[in-house]
Amino acid sequence: MTLADNNEPERGGDDMIAAEYVLGVLPNDERQGAARRIDGEPEFARLVDRWEVHLSPLAEAYPEVEAPASVKPAVDRRLFSGAAQSQAARQAGMWSSLAFWRGLAAAAVAALAIYIAVPYINPPAPVPETRLVASLAADGSDVRYLAVYDAAQGDVGLSHVSGERAAGRDFELWMIEGTNAPVSMGVIPVGSTIHLKISPELQKKLATGAVLAVSLEPSGGSPTGQPTGPVVAAGDLKNI
Amino acid sequence: MKDRVAFDLLYRQTSAKLFGVCLRVLNDRAEAEEALQEVFVKIWMKADRFAVSDLSPISWLVAVARNHAIDRIRARRQPAVDIDAALDVADPAPGPEAAAVAGGENERIHHCLEELEKDRAAAVRGAYLKGESYAELAERYGVPLNTMRTWLRRSLLKLRECLER
Repeated sequence: MTLADNNEPERGGDDMIAAEYVLGVLPNDERQGAARRIDGEPEFARLVDRWEVHLSPLAEAYPEVEAPASVKPAVDRRLFSGAAQSQAARQAGMWSSLAFWRGLAAAAVAALAIYIAVPYINPPAPVPETRLVASLAADGSDVRYLAVYDAAQGDVGLSHVSGERAAGRDFELWMIEGTNAPVSMGVIPVGSTIHLKISPELQKKLATGAVLAVSLEPSGGSPTGQPTGPVVAAGDLKNI
Repeated sequence: MKDRVAFDLLYRQTSAKLFGVCLRVLNDRAEAEEALQEVFVKIWMKADRFAVSDLSPISWLVAVARNHAIDRIRARRQPAVDIDAALDVADPAPGPEAAAVAGGENERIHHCLEELEKDRAAAVRGAYLKGESYAELAERYGVPLNTMRTWLRRSLLKLRECLER
């Protein structure tokens, strides 16, 4: 069975393939073809993601079943033994640096763990949508940060994933809301995990859809109040 | 090691749900156990990608597990060969699922599924939860493969129209 066999008049054929992929009904060869497109075509990946979002409430029907005790040690062996690490480095392909790969994976897992654990640690979240997350990256740059905005604390936590600033230069964090001029959130101190306090005026503007960006500036930050150097990483804030 | 601590926490909080997903789709404890290992390795490797998804973290993790489990059955199950065996075991009592669905009734997808004919909505739910293929659905509903695909695509188009209304 191929798409050509199908006489359904089709607009948005890719969107239907994305839906079929998410639903899981495709035969093996077509499913693998769709999976390759997810990796290689951002447009198609977005269609898939939208269907995942639409259908994800159905997954509430999956019951929780305690996993066999043997699974966790087996996973640990595969991820954290020496052999596993070199295999993982190979699979990481162009990311030739093991340290870079491990740093990225660890930061991302830590971020996931935090988002997931927070409701358990601190049961009834007082206000919904008080935490927003952004992954900051840009083409042609190896600078990556994960940012978590905590409205209750008025604080942005930044996990430095990769990319160093040049000597005598600083990274500065900006918030861009719609078509407004960037507003500085401050120079980013050196460190793997850092926190920036956010002014109350800025807090009012920080919402889903706002873009966070990191630019390279002279030491001490932009002298003009606007970014003067290249944007080395950016991403939009999303609900957790 | 800090990354180990984070990973352990993630595992503790999510492994039961993700095992439930693997078990439901694969319907075989040993295979689900193997799949769950692979799922957590994948999560570790691909964790940075969740930031570019609009899914919540737990939904993203469930999607990784579900897609991986479906990849496994697609690779293993040659539909024409063991379809009867597959159908025999693929349909346990709907009790807990119905209950869980009732809990999330306010979600738009449930409302939109209600707009479909009953058997078509059931086909969509069944495909999603059990990872049934077109071939299996066609067998179950006693229609040719292409008819099944046309059917389901019509349902998906209607769903999309409703979801984006």
